[in-house]
Amino acid sequence: MEAPVDTSQIVQFAKLDELLALSRANSLWPLTFGLACCAIEMMAAGGPRFDISRFGAEVFRPSPRQADVMIVAGTINKKMAPAVKTLYDQMLEPKWVIALGNCAISGGPFVFPGQYAVVEGVDKLFPVDVFVPGCPPRPEALIEGILALEKKLTGKRRWPVVTPPQ
Amino acid sequence: MIPSLEQLSARLADLAGAMPATATSGPAPVPPRSPVQPADFAAKGYHLDVTVAPGAVDSAAGILDQHGFALDTITGVDWIAQNEMEVIYDYFHAASPLRIVIRTRVPRDHPELPTISAVFPGANWHEREAHDFFGLRFLGHPDLSPFLLPEDATYHPLRKDFSA
Amino acid sequence: MTAPPDIARPTKPQETFVLNVGPQHPAAHGVLRIKMTMDGEFVTRAEPILGYIHRMHEKMGENRTWAQFLPNTGRIDYLSALHYNHAFVGVVERALRIEVPPRAEFIRVITSELNRISSHLVWWSAFLIDLGGMTPLLYAFDDREKLLDLLEGVTGSRLTYCYFRFGGLCNDIDDSFIAGARAFVAQMRPRLKLYRDLVTDNIILRKRLEGIGPISAEMCRKYGATGPVLRGSGVAYDVRRAEPYSVYPELAFEIPTYPAGDSMARYLVHMAEMEQSLRIIAQALDKLPAGPVMGKVPRVLRLPPGDYCFAVEAARGRFMVRVVSDNKDIPYRVKLRTPSFSNLSLYEEASRGMILPDVLALLGSLDLVIPDIDR
Repeated sequence: MEAPVDTSQIVQFAKLDELLALSRANSLWPLTFGLACCAIEMMAAGGPRFDISRFGAEVFRPSPRQADVMIVAGTINKKMAPAVKTLYDQMLEPKWVIALGNCAISGGPFVFPGQYAVVEGVDKLFPVDVFVPGCPPRPEALIEGILALEKKLTGKRRWPVVTPPQ
Repeated sequence: MIPSLEQLSARLADLAGAMPATATSGPAPVPPRSPVQPADFAAKGYHLDVTVAPGAVDSAAGILDQHGFALDTITGVDWIAQNEMEVIYDYFHAASPLRIVIRTRVPRDHPELPTISAVFPGANWHEREAHDFFGLRFLGHPDLSPFLLPEDATYHPLRKDFSA
Repeated sequence: MTAPPDIARPTKPQETFVLNVGPQHPAAHGVLRIKMTMDGEFVTRAEPILGYIHRMHEKMGENRTWAQFLPNTGRIDYLSALHYNHAFVGVVERALRIEVPPRAEFIRVITSELNRISSHLVWWSAFLIDLGGMTPLLYAFDDREKLLDLLEGVTGSRLTYCYFRFGGLCNDIDDSFIAGARAFVAQMRPRLKLYRDLVTDNIILRKRLEGIGPISAEMCRKYGATGPVLRGSGVAYDVRRAEPYSVYPELAFEIPTYPAGDSMARYLVHMAEMEQSLRIIAQALDKLPAGPVMGKVPRVLRLPPGDYCFAVEAARGRFMVRVVSDNKDIPYRVKLRTPSFSNLSLYEEASRGMILPDVLALLGSLDLVIPDIDR
């Protein structure tokens, strides 16, 4: 019987991983998960001026089974939290989460002593990949969040960060 | 029919007489008042302020319904210092600028009063919300289960002695 | 040949099933859950279940000073935030008898009416997506962005404005806003005509909306429905005329009313209101006086004990704030009477016996913002 062949000479998985990461990053399909005010800025990001379809991400899927990224846009309530967790669990791997807005990051302006209804941040429920602060964040901030997520997937930024001239 | 303030005052005054005087122990945030009181709209935002006994809120709603008013909202206020809860009914009219306020007080440890949802079906939701936040019990209401709070909530968050 | 089945007559009640719409659903306009008991495609009971975006605004009202509550007002109904700002500053100004300078009042009206147009454009886009037309969103959001550029230059925000202050505004408008607003009015009128030609007169839309979801004026009164829902049932009720505030008495505008009571009537009310808002903005720009934008306000705000209310005509209907004060610098109670709450309360009765697509068309025509309902 022959000794097993060292397959690393023949099969290169690294390039396939890169190809998969590039294709996933350029076609992130978000779940339609607008909860509150940030949802309107998410819709505006899908609109003609800001246009996230440049990044392949305009295909909002209503079903979690068909979505890659859950953009949590709005406040998570204690009544809503089980539903959010169910949606996250129903998404197929690989999946990512963008926490859009202050409420999704830490409860936002609704945290006060004696608060009884708000979950202080979606990362209390499941891991978050990108945090986009703002109340609400501008659509450009959401696009920057998507670019940051793309960098997390591929290791490279699509466009360099623009620094204004001094 | 377009209602007139005098006509309404007269009909509501028949109901208002049974209200006991408001408790004056402790800091009284509002001065005691006579049951049917015209109000300065520019200062308060309503025209008539009627205080009734808790048992008369449905009759008051019936009178206003006959005159074509609509229910604006039902507000609960927890006067913990006076051991009472106030329930304020706001009414508006689509064909008249008149704004009528009906208010009543119930004891805090026995916060019960009749429902007006038979007269105004819209009151169903307002009363359910008032029950959620204050524990006010509207007798005859079809379903006082938690509404804005989680289904298993047993707390009433807008009470002044509520702590999360 | 057997007679065709009578599809309008639902079958036996024990053959019903429960279909859950939401809380995550593209047509839910936020997090609304509707438990629909269905008999085939007919809805026998559509029960809205609320509370999934309850954010404790009324509790926060008891934990914030009068001024600190202002950012909350922009987040109750984020699409018409300036109207909600107006109601809260209005109730405090009414209680303390604060004089607002005329320039501030005119700017409040101009920005509020711009906000009304942007809210109706979002409603229009979302409603048509519910009905299956994805494209009008792209047109409406383009117009909306031009409008938001104007408001952003003056208020600093795109959505959840907190521009009004007790006694006036936080800053004045400049000539670029005035020129931009005039240009917007000029370019928006042909756009409304485009929307009428492309969408309103479209035979598919008319078949989806005409005769669907009839709501009578009496049902509106019994449930306290206001705004386009009430005006689409033939009742010309508008808070700007019933309880006049700000400088609306000096401006000429119509209250669009359609008697049919169906979803098409509510749709047409919205479209006509956008035209009327443009008219108000143009007049207010012409009449805009010079002067300060902030009146005299006491350093520490303490309202005399008692309760006060103030109502405005927000984009969705009558919004009323009732505050109870016990002479402290924080309110004792803040009650928010929101239009979407009352408008949705008639949904269960209005949707009985309709088929599923019509029930969703009715829901969209009510123009709801769910955080406005849950507060």
